[in-house]
Amino acid sequence: MKLYRSHLFIALLAIGSTACNKQLDTSPSNAVPEEIVLKSVANLTALSEGTWAAMMDDFYGGTFGNPGYKTITLVSEAMGNDVALITTKYSFAPVYRFTQMSDKTQSRLNAIWNQLYRIINNNNIIIANVDKVTGDAAAKKVLKGQALALRANTYLTIASFYQFSYLKDSLTKTAPIYTTPTTDTTRGNAKATLKEIYAQVFADLIEAKGLLEGYQRVAKYKINADVVNGLLARAYLNTGRWTLAAEAANTALKSYPLMPQADYGKGFNDVNNSEWIWGHPEIPSQSDGSYSFHFLDVSSASSYYYSFMADPFFGELFEAGDIRKTLFSWDGNPGREGWLQYKKFKFRADQTGDLVLMRSAEAHLIKAEGYAREGNITDGAAALNVLRTARGASAFDPAGASKEQLIEAILVERRKELWGEGFALADIIRNQLPVVRKPYVDAGGADRIVTVTTPDGKTKQVPAKYHSAFKFADGKDFTANSTNYIFVVPQAEEQNNPNLLK
Amino acid sequence: MLQKQNLLALLLLFSTGLLAQTRQVRGVVLTAETRQPLEGATIAVSKSTRSTVTNTQGQFQLELPDDKAVLTISFVGRENAELEVKAGQTDITILLKTGNNTLDEVVAVAYTTVKRSGYPGAVTTIAADKVNNRLTPNITNALQGLAPGIQTTSANGQPGNSSTIRIRGVGSINASSAPLFVVDGAPYEGDINALDPADIATINILKDATAANLYGSRAANGVILITTKQGKKGSDVAINATINQGWSSRAVKDYDKLGTDQYFELYWEALRNKALTNGQTAAQAAATASGKIVADLGINPYGTTFPQPVGADGKIVAGARPLWNDDWEEGMLQNAQYTQAQLSFAGGSDKSTYYIGGGYTNNQGAYLASGFKRYNFRSNLTLQAKPWLKIGLNLSGASTAQDYPTSADSRQTNVVLFGRTIPSFYPIYQRNADGTFKLDASGQKQFDYGAYRPNAALTRYNLIGSLPLNKSRNTNENLSARTFLEVAVTKALKVKTSFNLDYINSNSLYYTNPLVGEDAAIGGTVSKSSNRFLSYTWNNIATYDFDIQSVHHISLLAGQEYYKLNNSGLSGSRQKFALPDLYEPVAASQLIDFSGNADNYAKLSFFGQGQYNYLGKYFFTASVRRDGSSRFSPDSRWGTFWSAGASWRLSEEDFLKSVNWLNALTLKTSYGASGNDNISGYYAYLALHSIKNNLGNGGVITSRLPTPGLKWESNLNLNVGIDFGILKNRIYGTVNYYRRTSKDLLYSRPLAGSTGFTSVSANIGELRNTGAELELNVVPVSNRDWRWTLGINVAHNKNEITSLPQKEIISGSKKLMVGTSVYDFFLREWAGVDPNTGNPLWYRTTADGKKETTTTYAQGTQYYAGSSLPDVTGGITNSLQYKQLELSFVLSYSLGGKVLDADYISLLTGGPSPGRNWSTELLNRWTPDNKNTNVPRVTTDDLAWTSTSTRFLYDATYARLKQVSLGYNVPASLLSKIGLKTAKVYGLAENLLTFYGHQGMDPEQSVDGTTYYQYPQMKTISVGLQVGL
Repeated sequence: MKLYRSHLFIALLAIGSTACNKQLDTSPSNAVPEEIVLKSVANLTALSEGTWAAMMDDFYGGTFGNPGYKTITLVSEAMGNDVALITTKYSFAPVYRFTQMSDKTQSRLNAIWNQLYRIINNNNIIIANVDKVTGDAAAKKVLKGQALALRANTYLTIASFYQFSYLKDSLTKTAPIYTTPTTDTTRGNAKATLKEIYAQVFADLIEAKGLLEGYQRVAKYKINADVVNGLLARAYLNTGRWTLAAEAANTALKSYPLMPQADYGKGFNDVNNSEWIWGHPEIPSQSDGSYSFHFLDVSSASSYYYSFMADPFFGELFEAGDIRKTLFSWDGNPGREGWLQYKKFKFRADQTGDLVLMRSAEAHLIKAEGYAREGNITDGAAALNVLRTARGASAFDPAGASKEQLIEAILVERRKELWGEGFALADIIRNQLPVVRKPYVDAGGADRIVTVTTPDGKTKQVPAKYHSAFKFADGKDFTANSTNYIFVVPQAEEQNNPNLLK
Repeated sequence: MLQKQNLLALLLLFSTGLLAQTRQVRGVVLTAETRQPLEGATIAVSKSTRSTVTNTQGQFQLELPDDKAVLTISFVGRENAELEVKAGQTDITILLKTGNNTLDEVVAVAYTTVKRSGYPGAVTTIAADKVNNRLTPNITNALQGLAPGIQTTSANGQPGNSSTIRIRGVGSINASSAPLFVVDGAPYEGDINALDPADIATINILKDATAANLYGSRAANGVILITTKQGKKGSDVAINATINQGWSSRAVKDYDKLGTDQYFELYWEALRNKALTNGQTAAQAAATASGKIVADLGINPYGTTFPQPVGADGKIVAGARPLWNDDWEEGMLQNAQYTQAQLSFAGGSDKSTYYIGGGYTNNQGAYLASGFKRYNFRSNLTLQAKPWLKIGLNLSGASTAQDYPTSADSRQTNVVLFGRTIPSFYPIYQRNADGTFKLDASGQKQFDYGAYRPNAALTRYNLIGSLPLNKSRNTNENLSARTFLEVAVTKALKVKTSFNLDYINSNSLYYTNPLVGEDAAIGGTVSKSSNRFLSYTWNNIATYDFDIQSVHHISLLAGQEYYKLNNSGLSGSRQKFALPDLYEPVAASQLIDFSGNADNYAKLSFFGQGQYNYLGKYFFTASVRRDGSSRFSPDSRWGTFWSAGASWRLSEEDFLKSVNWLNALTLKTSYGASGNDNISGYYAYLALHSIKNNLGNGGVITSRLPTPGLKWESNLNLNVGIDFGILKNRIYGTVNYYRRTSKDLLYSRPLAGSTGFTSVSANIGELRNTGAELELNVVPVSNRDWRWTLGINVAHNKNEITSLPQKEIISGSKKLMVGTSVYDFFLREWAGVDPNTGNPLWYRTTADGKKETTTTYAQGTQYYAGSSLPDVTGGITNSLQYKQLELSFVLSYSLGGKVLDADYISLLTGGPSPGRNWSTELLNRWTPDNKNTNVPRVTTDDLAWTSTSTRFLYDATYARLKQVSLGYNVPASLLSKIGLKTAKVYGLAENLLTFYGHQGMDPEQSVDGTTYYQYPQMKTISVGLQVGL
């Protein structure tokens, strides 16, 4: 009896244990296997959406200092002339002092590099598979066009920051190009020249332009033919093809009238603004990119860092009557008295803000610069004046003006109009200019005194705050084409890409 | 009288006249010298499997199979006794001499128990008394210094946090290096905080292949095997109550900082130096500095009488003195209490045993708003249902609540960093210019949120005011069950099935208030998450024990195990509270996010083991285990692990039996392979795209490359050791040498970021830990009144990478290469301060190999700068008894290794960060009169000298008096009058003293030698009372 029971018991155990072998198959709830992604155009579209979300709304490298694609904007601005950074605030002081982006061991370099190439690889997956998957042909066309354009935009970003101007030397090696998806055997590609990178950019954009013709987008973060034209205009401008730049810009801006003056002070946080060609809407549940406002927004009480203050000399570039002039004020808050606020960027009430990527104002300026550099003063000045007039600034008088004067006026206008949008360093590199920062002092060398209004309404005289880094870290003067302006390829890439320098 | 006869076992036999047919014997085991009851002594009936253990009163009850039997009585640290129970004898008293012979104890190893003597495995046992009464709710914090080869570091001392434990070095680079916890026979996946140290009977640490490898798949980093208390068969209920009341504070003082006068004078100098570099004359520069200082710092603590408190000579002007001196560090601390109470009931009938215990612990943190509270119970039951059927149920539950403010981050809300950052010249409460408090309408002091403070002094933050209004709380409900059913098919063959379950329901609530502090501007925030964690292990084991002609002892074991984990959680966040004093998401008006996910993980295993010994002299063991893990692809998920061991009890040989001074000598060796599948992510073979939704549209993005061939990491573990006992076992111990080779490392092979991936999982690389351990126990004095025992353990480990997929891999502040350890610093090398200019210098190696200095940090070359891993770790345990008094302590130590102290850097930034506290080390800055120094000149320019370099690498050597206990056992004669069986009053201290070299930094930092503004260790002192009835 006793033995019989035990045998029964053992038999039950044996049955129980054989039954669980198949239990070793598990699957994740927050990820899908690749074969599902590559099944249909609908699933591949999900890859496109996810790639976009990762580009705009991941903290690159997982730190708050890198709020999505706007990280590059912030870095570019912090290294320019017109942002006087509060260096005791989080994250950007070493960038501002030119000690970070030229040091290959710094983690921010990895964060930006890795994410840009991750976006490229995901677009490569779409481009390589879109023609093979099942689904609607029209949808495939759009998906492919958008993937090509986004890949081009990423390579254009790399070409703009990781090397000197194309016009300085287009044959300098810059960064690797990948056009096919990475597999587990990929070890890395060699650095390509600027010329090769731009060739890829143009090829992608021109193909994308054809594929996106007639495509009606449902939201402004979707790339359409206008965005492609805008990107083409930027690429032509970088490579000195002036007329093409002007023409592409002119096509891009057509459907996007410059905003009414009343909208200028609304905080640059609304993708529905009439002149935004390309932008990313933010929502509370997807708002990592909005974190960039904590740096740029210098007037909202909810802004954590408000560190991107304006250089007082920048404020002086604006004349009375210019709507943009009204956004300046000397900060009177305790602890930050004397800094010059430029209240261009403001959080919305829910602590988000849409992210601007391309505006028709920029297209007008590209158009103006393209014509001007081509020697067409009339059309160049006209394009510039469309913008200046819209902002309430006095028009540039083309009569008797030289090409150089017009270009100078356009470059100043770019700084004025595009402040905080990421063009500062890119323009310095592109135009082979030095960074210019000066102390805001009187003739005797003492800080200039300005009047601020404290929160209790009283006015007060305080010394103005201004730049704090006027030279490179080694004590040398800012010069044109300094390696300190260029983002270096991170040490990890050097270490782990055996083909990089081949 | 009897002691004089010097018998091995001393016994007093009482015949009560009861008849022998009861076949029950009961008795009590006492110390021979003081007649104190011995709890936990094992009484085994020879030639049977029956055994029992004494309760807190030293009592036991045992059923005898025959009229006559021989009992073997053993107890850790005492000589074994053998005793023949004669027919009719039912009540016996056994006195155990201090034999110091742990070598004969029975220890738990994987799935079974073995007699220590002759066992080829490396097992260290930690006795209950070392961990039962500790002033920490978390058992991992109590292990430090108690066993050789166990590196325990508690990087974050916040109440309720665990220590990191490494057994015999760091065994993996990317996969987990943490040991496996096994509680009452099954892998424990519950919250380690749910385990009340007071319920623990023993802890065995399995370090080598023979002892651990039957846990095959999970044994690669060693096993910590915890056995909880059981009742004793046939004993009366023993009631035990303990209560402790203590007080906690920081174990070490924070970094020294400048006083107000020093600060103002030094900042004046920084401003003056900056003005000089701007081209001003000395007089102009001095005037500029005097004029600027108050505006820059935003406050004048010297009052309006002294508008320029620092004169042109750089000194505080005569008569000026600070009107207040508010210690923010002190303000962030609280009067922390430690309260602990336990009550347990243990006993048993002839067919069952029970242990029922309950406890309460309230461990408040040294810093504001931090603390840990636990209510727990345990019920361990066994029942001999039929002569051939035994069942058991161990059930434990705990409800824990941890108040958990930020304490390991550079965020402004970090409670440790906050008080350290703000200098004492900023008032905590609002003050008028004359130093008096600004009171509100009701006459109360008002917190000063410091909108005027410069950024470096944390503008608009005052955690002393806002923290009590916020919440950051983790609450867990834990349930853990261990059940078994054991059938004795024959006398030799037993089959046991056990089902074991760990369940955690964890909830967290993080709330910031809408009224004051960091989130007031957005109306406060709340995020809440809830997580259900369930894991169960079902194993079935058959054992077969038999002797051949009483010389060949064979023990066989075969088993099967299935393990399943399911983890499922959801979380959401909202913000914008319209009303105060409401803490739940429902009261916040704006939805931010809602999400949730679930994971599954399963393992299936089959295993077998054989043990053989011949005449108790020659021992052999072998085991094999096959594991399948759901982490790997179906084609590569099965791995086979094994072990083999042998030992030789030399002391049992005739040629050594005559050597009087030698009591025990065993040589042992083992070798085997165990596995590790513990890499991040449960699905380590698929090419995966993780969900990344975009603005209401479904989205995915690449997350990992396919790795269909990925398989188990394996760990080859060689151990050679000697167990010895000499001079009547007054000196005994173990020496072990080991070599652990981890190969086919589950490695995140770095990829060039430009491929779109930064790494791909691969079985690449090899890592070796080689080391030696010594455990030495000495009983220098043992007589009627005195007993002194001393334990010393020492371990040396060398960690070395022996193979890598590429020449070098740089990761953060470390670089991996063949020949280095996994945590070798790779940093720019500090070259001191240029005596001529006062500027910082670093070394660089030029293209032609010349080493020179540079003033530009980015141009400095990175060099190897030593490992964070210690050379030697260990502990000293000491126990001294005089009559009823006991004094014991545990000292742990760690020699060698380095820490990169980034915390300290934040106090050295100086001039560029006006308003932040400065270290006193800045007083030694370079000046024209002090040219030979390690601190550059002060200026408001950023000289970058605080960039990460070897300048901030400090020796990590330390020793810590982990525990001190002083107790008095109330004599039995007194107790009997008040009806108590035992009573002990005592004082306890945890982390009482710390010996270390770098002022301000708690020497316990993370294993990789980096700091992160962590919560330092706490020192706790308490008084307690333990009563048994």
